[in-house]
Amino acid sequence: MEQSVPELMARLDSLESSLAMATTINSEVFYWWCTALMLAIHAGFLAYEMGASRAKNALASGMKNLIAFAFLIPAFYYVGWWIYLAFPAGLSIADGSEAGLPWSTNMGPNLTDNASGIFYAAFTLFAATTASIMSGSVIERIRISGFTILALVLGAVVWILGASWGWHPDGWLTTEWGLHDVGAAGCVHTVAGFFTLGVLINLGPRIGRFNSDGTVNNIDGHNMPMSLIGLMLIVMGFFGFLGGCIIYTGDMWTTIYNTPTTLSAFAFNTLMGVAGGMIGAYLVTRDPFWMMSGALIGVISSAPALDLYYPGFAFLVSFAGGCIMPKLNDILVGKFKIDDAVGAVAVHGFGGVWGLIASGIFASGYPNIAGPEISFVGQLSSAVVFMILGFAPGYALSYALKVVGLLRVTEGAEIAGLDKAEVPASAYPESSVPAAFTNDPTSPTPAE
Amino acid sequence: MNTAPITTWEGAEAYFTFADKPVILGLVTLVGIAVCVYTIASMAIHENKAYKNM
Repeated sequence: MEQSVPELMARLDSLESSLAMATTINSEVFYWWCTALMLAIHAGFLAYEMGASRAKNALASGMKNLIAFAFLIPAFYYVGWWIYLAFPAGLSIADGSEAGLPWSTNMGPNLTDNASGIFYAAFTLFAATTASIMSGSVIERIRISGFTILALVLGAVVWILGASWGWHPDGWLTTEWGLHDVGAAGCVHTVAGFFTLGVLINLGPRIGRFNSDGTVNNIDGHNMPMSLIGLMLIVMGFFGFLGGCIIYTGDMWTTIYNTPTTLSAFAFNTLMGVAGGMIGAYLVTRDPFWMMSGALIGVISSAPALDLYYPGFAFLVSFAGGCIMPKLNDILVGKFKIDDAVGAVAVHGFGGVWGLIASGIFASGYPNIAGPEISFVGQLSSAVVFMILGFAPGYALSYALKVVGLLRVTEGAEIAGLDKAEVPASAYPESSVPAAFTNDPTSPTPAE
Repeated sequence: MNTAPITTWEGAEAYFTFADKPVILGLVTLVGIAVCVYTIASMAIHENKAYKNM
């Protein structure tokens, strides 16, 4: 059938328009489901922290997670997304960042902007992840109000400033130092881990954790199976998290630094990293809790170069992380008397540092689009920036909360149990359960 | 209350409630922040009362 040139041109225009719309819709759909998958991270943290708490604190631990999640969503809307757009150059405000202000026409239903909402949503779930990283460490003695304030500052301000610096195509850590951290090991895990360390120093250990002679008492949670299922849910959610770390352009996938990649690259190395971390942690601990924490360590260890590693090598990098981090946690607890109830400082804080260092050693020389090539010095220096960026505000803010009495619960409430003290519900109301599974304060830990 | 910033879908861009009134959007933002701050303060008061009974 013969068609005139104008008709063919019109059809071509129509096809191009349809293709562009399909690309836009595919991108929206991709990040929509990444966000949904990331919710599994929070279901996982909820289960794992409640399980890691004694029964008398189970609901209070869960409440803490739920409250942080609920408050972070509006907080990230009000300031977080704007911070990401505003500060890639350091502390000067970038042109165009006003699109992230809450009264911008981009921050709501807009037929000409298919991107802002979906990226806001994905980044909000990243933000909630940083708060969840902290929340497990501080269980059983932190005030929920104090924790909420800390979570808001970490999730809506601190980590996203780090993301703007180092997880952004124009971030100064990349353009100046060549940072490559595609899986956000630095801005999410290192920042949150070291923020948590600052908080733990001011918060202090749970009653009964350490004896007067310095020896350590184990304080077992009331439901290890719940914790293990929670940790597996977190691993599942990481597939949403890491999927959200990739940019969909329609033509190809790119990293957040605009370097080309594939979902296959992430699939290879995420799975191999999970396995390496689990096996490493099992080897050195034989403990199922640490074995599943090892899965997180494995992902974090390989995260900076998920797009670059040979999968067999990612396995080994993550195996090393799985072997090292439980030992670092032992040092934090045994030598420095840091009562990190779930080992988050080691898993996330030092796990992120290890990931950045390993990528600096084993992935140096790869080119960046904007900035120098990947180097050991660039990765290590960036790790130091993330450590300081996390630790300093975590320590300062928790110190201020401690001074005004908002950081820690009273001794009486801690011994009686936080559920009994402040939660108008009961975790196990009618069951005939052992004393250790009740709010009975007559079943304390050894030093109480 | 007519909150619509558009009178037709032809050529519509930002079409959410009050999209053409940034001052109102700013006020709504302030109220939202106030709700969060109030609830955290309420949380702290609840904790103080609860701990006194322990």
